[in-house]
Amino acid sequence: MLRIDDLVVRYGSAVAVDGVSFEVGAGEMVALVGPNGAGKSTLINAISGLVPPHSGTVACEGRIAQVPEGRQMFADMSVEDNLLLGGWSIRNRDLGEVYDLLPDLAGMRKRKAGRLSGGQQQMVAVGRALMARPDLLAIDELSLGLAPLVVAELAEHLRFLNRERGTAVLLVEQEVTLAFDVCPRALVLEAGRIIAAGPSVELAQSETVRKAYFGDLAVAEMMTGPTAQATTEVST
Amino acid sequence: MTELVAYLISGIALGSSFALIGSGIVVVHRVTRVVNFAQGSVAIVGGMASATLLDGRLPHGLGEIAAVLLSGVLGLVIGLLAIGRRGTPPLISLIVTLGASMLVSAAIIWLWGQDPVTPPGLRGSVTILGAEVERQRLLVVVATGVAFAALALFFSRSYLGKGLTASASNPFAARMVGIDVRKMGLLAFGLAGILGGLAGVLIAPSNPLSFYSDLPLVLGGFAAAVFGGLTSPLRTLLGGLCLGVAGQLTAGYLNGSYQTEMALLLMLVIMIIRSRALVQEEVK
Amino acid sequence: MDRVNPRYVLVVVAAVAGCVAPFVMGDLTFLMRMLLAAIVVTGLSLLMGYAGQASLGQGAFVAVGAVTVAVATTRWGVPPLLALVAAPLVAGAFAALVGVPLLRLRGHYLAFGTLALLLMVQTAMSTFDFLGGAFGISGIPPFGVGGTVFADQRPYVLLALGLLALVLFVTHRIVDSRFGRGIRALAGSETAAESAGVPVVRAKLVIFALSAMYAGLAGGLSAFFTPYVSPDSFPALESFTYVIMAVVGGLGTLWGGVVGAVLVSTLLQLLNLVSSQPQLPPTLGPILQYATYGGLLILALLFMRRGLVPAVEGAVTRAVSRRGGAGRT
Repeated sequence: MLRIDDLVVRYGSAVAVDGVSFEVGAGEMVALVGPNGAGKSTLINAISGLVPPHSGTVACEGRIAQVPEGRQMFADMSVEDNLLLGGWSIRNRDLGEVYDLLPDLAGMRKRKAGRLSGGQQQMVAVGRALMARPDLLAIDELSLGLAPLVVAELAEHLRFLNRERGTAVLLVEQEVTLAFDVCPRALVLEAGRIIAAGPSVELAQSETVRKAYFGDLAVAEMMTGPTAQATTEVST
Repeated sequence: MTELVAYLISGIALGSSFALIGSGIVVVHRVTRVVNFAQGSVAIVGGMASATLLDGRLPHGLGEIAAVLLSGVLGLVIGLLAIGRRGTPPLISLIVTLGASMLVSAAIIWLWGQDPVTPPGLRGSVTILGAEVERQRLLVVVATGVAFAALALFFSRSYLGKGLTASASNPFAARMVGIDVRKMGLLAFGLAGILGGLAGVLIAPSNPLSFYSDLPLVLGGFAAAVFGGLTSPLRTLLGGLCLGVAGQLTAGYLNGSYQTEMALLLMLVIMIIRSRALVQEEVK
Repeated sequence: MDRVNPRYVLVVVAAVAGCVAPFVMGDLTFLMRMLLAAIVVTGLSLLMGYAGQASLGQGAFVAVGAVTVAVATTRWGVPPLLALVAAPLVAGAFAALVGVPLLRLRGHYLAFGTLALLLMVQTAMSTFDFLGGAFGISGIPPFGVGGTVFADQRPYVLLALGLLALVLFVTHRIVDSRFGRGIRALAGSETAAESAGVPVVRAKLVIFALSAMYAGLAGGLSAFFTPYVSPDSFPALESFTYVIMAVVGGLGTLWGGVVGAVLVSTLLQLLNLVSSQPQLPPTLGPILQYATYGGLLILALLFMRRGLVPAVEGAVTRAVSRRGGAGRT
């Protein structure tokens, strides 16, 4: 249902996405993994139409809604208002469906979104995207800055949505283990190109992925200082 | 005692008009981060247009409404100039609205001349606690109350109002859910035009307006809006009332010519005391 | 030998034109006002372009300079030269004083704060009889040094020209200094400037005071020229005009202030001539004036954000390099 064909995105002279092609079938869950700066966020923003492509095409039969990196709450507005605004593009003001799918949201609907915990905000962001009745959920960094238990719960919600609503999911994730666990199929992006694609189980064993990732990790481990710093940044 | 009541009531009336102008500044700034310097000029056009329309062309009520709507259109045009071009920084937009206010001044002199104009308003006065108060001034207070209540309801209850608030709160997320942030900015300018026009229509019967009034009006409005950090309509209302009452008390007990300076001094003091917080709001 | 830099040719042409004009023009009031505006706007352009701060009330410091001269000469009998030297010093000191609280404001708040300052200076002038009261101060003696006294307009214009040259020279030296390169970062990002070791607060205050000194100097000279100072001599519209001139000429450029002042003044003078034709309605003058101000400001900001001087300079540089490149190959 989503078909990307030779997509190129540039910022000035820098090429962020360099000739990417892939498809996501209806109701499919696909992970998009890759190291920092590989162009994952740019790719997802181009798919959502927030960043104009330089060349190539994004074709989608159905609606796409994005769960953005950093959750991007309307912080001084209530959870309910955040959800309502999610339906802006199709003038959907019916909250019932989302409250059925994510019952936790009903309990906090009067609270200000900015006062919620990271995990709760992520839930609101997913709910807000669902208000657009999407056929594809494009999720940018589900786990970023969240505790593992919270992430596991969110992942369970995603599987449930996929099962119940048949919503396709494109999950951009730095946390490879999580991404491979949630999505049966995965793409590996590096320096703006897809360097590997296939079933997650196979990719997890593959040498290329090990290099792209565990190579990255090895480098990170060598520079323990910055890594430690990065970790503290995430947890705050 | 009677004197004090009279000063308080006329202060509240004056403060209401500051607050109305200020509310227009707040509405635009919330959504676009731009301060609309032409807000005073829009009010003058509102007042003068109502004078022309009520002069045998339209009955009371209709004439005022038409003048207010006309001001809304003017506000929208100013918005197109100020934020129509993508990537105009807010401070540049402020100077563009300064230019717009000069163009409006030219239009005012062309259409209505240089002398002050005053439309007919409510006649007569009533006695409150022994003090005589013009009916028109009471109307200003009541209409301001209604306008602020409507504004609060619009922002908190209506879908469109929520879209405006969302654009102000997080422009990226607003764009993501499909809100056209620029269109919302223009809408805010139009709404501010309506509020400014309302202010002008209400003020003009008791304070004749000329093209010269733009500076005192926009300064009074900005001073009120500063109390609300340029974002809160409610605190702008309170700020306007404080300024109005302080001004009238100064005028009554000290010297009539210092009421504007009193307002400016208060504004400067508030701005400087709260400078740290204000800068943060600006950055956010 | 290298070609002569076209910029120097322009400077020489401008200087010659400036020196010849006082001898061929009849009424020099217009020329004098233009030169005074150029002095003020050079400072404002420095403030807006380098420190990134908009002042809508630069007239406040012009007023302080003018009042300094008026009070010093008429009340205390201070010699004119001393009074003229005091004008920028008093204005600068005043700016340094009010700048401490005022410069805590930024952006919109500072713009409105400076406008409020202007209105309060006006009120102070009309309130205190010592500063002139409602009627202002008249009877300011003509400028003169020792035995020579300025008898007509021409020497004033020549003095203004000399002072403008001095102001441009000082500005040039400051901009090219280490301090100047430091403050250039201010207009971009204060946080970045701060982390690069620029003392942000002090640097802004210095530029603010310097621009006030220029304004005070122009105000002092205008007090001798007019020779009358009242609160109405410094309307807010005049301060807005300075902003228009600065924006039209190009913020943060040495010559932007001069070019802006010359262009805007000339345009207004021409419109004045047109609209003062006897058969036209008397309101045409103000209509044209306001429309020109507003139109110029909006057009310049929307279509020539950096101003005329950088735009023309860019075009000339491109043209010259193209021709120069073709010549060499």
